[in-house]
Amino acid sequence: MRETKMNKTISMSKLLAVVMLALASLFTATAHASAPGITGTSFSLTAQSAYLTQPDGQAIYSWGYGCSAGFMPTFAPATITTGFCNAMQVPGPTLIVTEGSTVTVTLTNNLPTSAGNTSILFPGFHVATSGGVTGLMTQEAAPGGSVMYTLTGFSPGTHAYYSGTQGDLQVEMGLYGAIIVLPATIPSACTSGLAAANVAVEGNWGESDFRLANASGAVGAAYDNNHACYDREYIFQFSEMDPRIHTQALAQVRATAGCAAGATGCSLNVATEPYHPGYFMINGRSMPDDMDPNYAFQYPHQPYNGNPHMHPGEQVLIRVIGQGRWQHPFHEHGNHVRILARDGNLILSPAATAGETTPLAGPLLFTTTTTPGLAFDGIFYWTGKGLNWDAYGHNPTSSDPNAKLTCTPDANGYNTGVAAQTQINYYEWCQDHNKPVQVAPFGDVASGGPATLPDANILTNGAWYSGSPYLGPDATTRAVGGTCTGVNNTTSCTTSGSTPPSGTIANSPSSEAGFAFMWHSHNEREITTNNIFPGGMLMMMLVDSREFVIDESM
Amino acid sequence: MRKLHQIGLLIAFTCLATGVASAQSFRVQCPNSTITHPAALNDVEPAYTGPTTLSAPSASTFQAPTANVNGAIKCQQISGGDGYATMGDGTQTYLFSFGPLSGLAKIASGQAGTDSPTEFNTINPPSNVLLPGDPATTDDPSGTSTPNLASFTYNGAVGQVPDLDNGGAINGHVDPRQMLDVGVMNGNIPAPLMAIDEDDEYFLTLSNVGMIMRPDLFEQHTVHFHGYPNASAFYDGVPDASVAINIGGSFTYYYLAPDAGTYFWHCHITPPEHLQMGMVGQLYVRPRQDRVTGDLYTALQNQQLDLRTACPSSADTVHSDILCSNPLPAVNTGAAGAATIRQGGTSGYAYNDGDGSTYYDVEYPIQIHGFDPNFHFVGMTFNPEGFADMKDKYFLLNGRSYPDTVKSGPLETQSSDGVNHFSQPLPSIINITAGQRALLRISDLDVSEYQTLASLGIPMHVVGYNAKLLRDQAGNNLDYYTNSITLGGGESLDVILDSCAVRAVGGACTTTVPVGTYYLYTPNLDHLSNDAENFGGLMTEVHVN
Repeated sequence: MRETKMNKTISMSKLLAVVMLALASLFTATAHASAPGITGTSFSLTAQSAYLTQPDGQAIYSWGYGCSAGFMPTFAPATITTGFCNAMQVPGPTLIVTEGSTVTVTLTNNLPTSAGNTSILFPGFHVATSGGVTGLMTQEAAPGGSVMYTLTGFSPGTHAYYSGTQGDLQVEMGLYGAIIVLPATIPSACTSGLAAANVAVEGNWGESDFRLANASGAVGAAYDNNHACYDREYIFQFSEMDPRIHTQALAQVRATAGCAAGATGCSLNVATEPYHPGYFMINGRSMPDDMDPNYAFQYPHQPYNGNPHMHPGEQVLIRVIGQGRWQHPFHEHGNHVRILARDGNLILSPAATAGETTPLAGPLLFTTTTTPGLAFDGIFYWTGKGLNWDAYGHNPTSSDPNAKLTCTPDANGYNTGVAAQTQINYYEWCQDHNKPVQVAPFGDVASGGPATLPDANILTNGAWYSGSPYLGPDATTRAVGGTCTGVNNTTSCTTSGSTPPSGTIANSPSSEAGFAFMWHSHNEREITTNNIFPGGMLMMMLVDSREFVIDESM
Repeated sequence: MRKLHQIGLLIAFTCLATGVASAQSFRVQCPNSTITHPAALNDVEPAYTGPTTLSAPSASTFQAPTANVNGAIKCQQISGGDGYATMGDGTQTYLFSFGPLSGLAKIASGQAGTDSPTEFNTINPPSNVLLPGDPATTDDPSGTSTPNLASFTYNGAVGQVPDLDNGGAINGHVDPRQMLDVGVMNGNIPAPLMAIDEDDEYFLTLSNVGMIMRPDLFEQHTVHFHGYPNASAFYDGVPDASVAINIGGSFTYYYLAPDAGTYFWHCHITPPEHLQMGMVGQLYVRPRQDRVTGDLYTALQNQQLDLRTACPSSADTVHSDILCSNPLPAVNTGAAGAATIRQGGTSGYAYNDGDGSTYYDVEYPIQIHGFDPNFHFVGMTFNPEGFADMKDKYFLLNGRSYPDTVKSGPLETQSSDGVNHFSQPLPSIINITAGQRALLRISDLDVSEYQTLASLGIPMHVVGYNAKLLRDQAGNNLDYYTNSITLGGGESLDVILDSCAVRAVGGACTTTVPVGTYYLYTPNLDHLSNDAENFGGLMTEVHVN
C-alpha cells in the first residue's frame, strides 16, 4: 500500500506518469483558475458522502457539502459557464455574497445515519438559526433533518465555513467551504487609471474578466480601500487527509448501515488521533490534479482547481484559507505577497483615519502561513522589475517587429501608455528594455550581457520550462532559432530544428512560454501524495506575456 | 569500495568528455566588468550618494550607466554532491549537500564565501596542491580536530586555470581534477554562506560533482534564491520550471541583488528529499544604507529617486506600489550613517530604514533545520524513503545541535573517503560586547514542522520579516519585542539582541545588561534533544562580554 521513493527508476517512472497527466491535461484544455462559486442570498445545501479521487489512484471515502436536490444555484463568475454543483463536493460550494445583505443557508443532513447530526459554523458572521436540533456550538441538522442559518453583519473578504459538529471527524472528512463577501462599494481608484487600463488591455487581447461581481455588478476591489484593487483573483483552501480515518469511517458506516438514528450502536467511533495525514490538498485536490480545470468532469466531487495565471503587472488577489488541522508554510515563488486582511479584517496603519485611502499595515511575505480556521487575503504581482535584463529578449537589430517594440516608461517606469496597450510587452519594466543577459546568445536576442549559458546537453529541462530564459512565445522562438511572423496579436510562431527542447510539454514554447513559478507548502514533505513525490500542496503559477490569452473558463 | 566509486566517477567523466566533444562542462564565471558595472574592475562598492545615472531611453539600445555607478560584482562557486556531518551525539550522518568551491578559507572561518572578482579570479599556484578534504586536510594534517585556520589561505575559484587555448586567459576555464579533489564528499551543513550588497551583480556557479555514496542516483541539483522578488523563472532554480544541472556540469546563476534583507537558498530538486538531506544555505543582502555617510533620511529620499527602489507614499495613488520595500519613516530621527560601516567594520543596518532603527554592531546568520536520522540512513543505504511520516530527531542551528553549537571553529567529520572535512563550518555562539547590538539573521528550512526559538534574558527585537523591514505603508515602524519567535520552513526573520538595558536619547548605552551567558533555546521541549540523548538540540549561547 505504501508507495515510496524506492529508487530513481521508480521515481522517474512516477514523474513520467505525472508528466503524462500534465500532457493529458494540456491536450484536453489549458486549465486556469479563478475563484468560482455560487452567488445569491439563499443557498440550499446538503451534507452527504462520496469518494474523492487522488492522483495515486485512490478513491477516498469523504463527506462534503453540496447543493440540495432542486436547488438551482447561480454560478459566478458569469464568464465561467461550465459550473456544476453536485450533492457533495470538497471544498463545499464557495458562497459569493455582498456586504450588507442578509443570506440564508439551509442545510439538510444526508450523511449516513450513524454519522449523527451535522451543522455549519460561520465564524465572523452574526448567525440566527431556525429549525434543527440543539447542538453544542450551534443548531444542528439531525439525520434526514434540516436547519436554516440566517447570516448578517457581513464584512468584506474571505471567510471559512465548516462543520460545528464533531469537527475532529467531520472537518477531516471534508465538511468545509468558503464564503467570499464582496464590498458593496468599489473605490473609484479601482475602476480608473491603471486598473481601468488593465481591463482595457484584457479586452484588446480578447480576454474576459473573471473577477467576482458584487450584488450591483461592480468588480475590482476586495475591500473598500484603494490598496485592495485587483485584476485577477484566486482562492486556495488548504487541508490534509489521514486515509486511515476515512477507511475506518467507511467500515463503521457500512457496519451500521440501516440503523435507526439514536438507536444503541447507531454511531461512529473513529479515532482521530494519532494523526498521520498522507494527502495534502489545495481545494480538495492534490498536485497534479489541482492544475486541471475547474469543474473538470473527472472530479465530480472536487470542482475547484489551483492553477493561477497572470500577466506582468496585474494585481492578483489571493484568498487563502486553512481548512485542515495543521499550519502550512505556503511559499509563493516569484514575489512577496502583501497581506491585506485576516478573516475579513483589513490590517490598516494604526495612525491613519479610516477611509478608502487608509494605508495598509499588513506584512509583506514570501511565505504565507495557512492556519486552521483562518482566512487571509493578499495581493501579489510580478513585473520583472530589477532583473537587470530584458525578459522579453528584445533585440533592436532583429527583423522581427516584436523584437523591436518600444518601451515608454510611465511615472513608475512601466510600459503602460496607450500605445503599449496593444503590445506584447505591456507593463514591461523599461529600465531594462533591450538589456541583454547573455554574452553571446545563439538566437535572435540581444548580445553583450553578463552571463554565459552552458551547453544545453548538460541540463535537464523541466516540464514547465518555457524553452528559453525569455518570456513569451515570440522571445522564446527567437532565442532558440525559430521564426515568428506578424506583430502583437497577429503574432504566429513556428519553432524549428532542434526546438522546442524535449520535456517542455506543460508550457508550450510556441504558444505560452510563460515564466513558471512553484507555489507550494514549504513543509516540503507535504508536496507528496501518499508518499509519492511530486504531489500534494503544489501548483505551478504562470506569468504569461500578453500573446497568451488567459482563459479561466477552460 | 571507495576506490571503486572513484574509478566509476572517472569513467563517467571520461565518457562525458568524449560525448560532448569540445564543450567544456565545468566552468566558472566572474567578469571583472559588465554593462552594469563598466569600470575595468568592480571589487568594492563605492559610497552611496544617490541613484546610478542612466543614459536616456532609446529605441536602438539599452539604458547604460553613465555616472554614479553603485554596487560591485560578486562571485562564488559551490559544489553539489554529498558528504557527512557529525550530530550532537557523535553520530556520523549522511548528507546530500553543497560544499564551497570558492572562498574556502573564509568559509572555514565562519564567513561568507562570496568573492570579489579579483579574489575569485586569483589562480591557485601549481605549487599549492589542493588536497581532498581541504581546507581541513591542510589546516589539520594530523586529524586532531584542532585546525589551524591560518594554514589554508586560498580563497579563489577552485579549479580555475589559465585557458592555454586562448593565450592563457583567465576566462572561467577550469581543471576539473582540482574541483573533484576538493568538491567530492565535501558537503557542508549549512551550505556555503553567501553575502552580497544591494546593487551588486552576483554570479553563483554551481558545479555538480556527483554523489559518491549513491552511484545509482544521477541526481541534478539547482539553487533556489528563496524570497527574491521579481525573480525570473530561468534563474529561480525550480527544475520543473527551468533547467537543472546534471552531474559533471556547471551552471552560473545571475542576479542583480534585490532589496536588502535576510534571504536563504536551497536546492529545489525533489525538495522533501534534498532539503531534508541537507541542501540548505544562507544568503543575505546588505542595504545601501551601509554605504551612506551622513543623514540617513536624506539617503532614503535619494533612493526614492531610483524607480527600481522607489517606495512612494501610499497616498499617491498614481505611484503607489503595494509590494515596495522601504517607505520613508514617519519620523525623521536625524540619524546619521556611520562612516566605518562596510570598511572592515562589522556593524551595519539590516534594512534601508532611513532612521537608524535596524542598526547592529555585529551580525550572525542562524539557520534552523531538522534531521530525521531514519530518513538519512535510508537515504544512504538505497532503501525506500517515506515522506509522510518524516520525524526529525536532530534539531539544528547552523547544522549543529547543542553543545556543538557553542564549539568555536569548524566542525570536522571524517567522510567515507577516509579524510576529515569541515562539515559544519558555522558555530552559533553569539558574542556581544556589553552595550552593543547583535543582528540575528534567522531562517528556517525545516521540512516537516514549525520551530520556536526563545531568548532567555535578552528580549528579541524583531525588525524584519521575510526579508522586509517591518514598516507600514504610512512609514510607521511595526517592529516589536518578544521572547520567542516561531518560524515554518521557508521563512526568515531579523532579530536584534540589544545588550544595553538603558539607552540615553541619541542611542548611547548608559546601563548594560549584566555580563555573562544567556541562552537561545527552543521551548518545543522535545526538540532539546539529540536523537536518544535527552539534552541538546536547538539551543545555543549568547555571550555578553
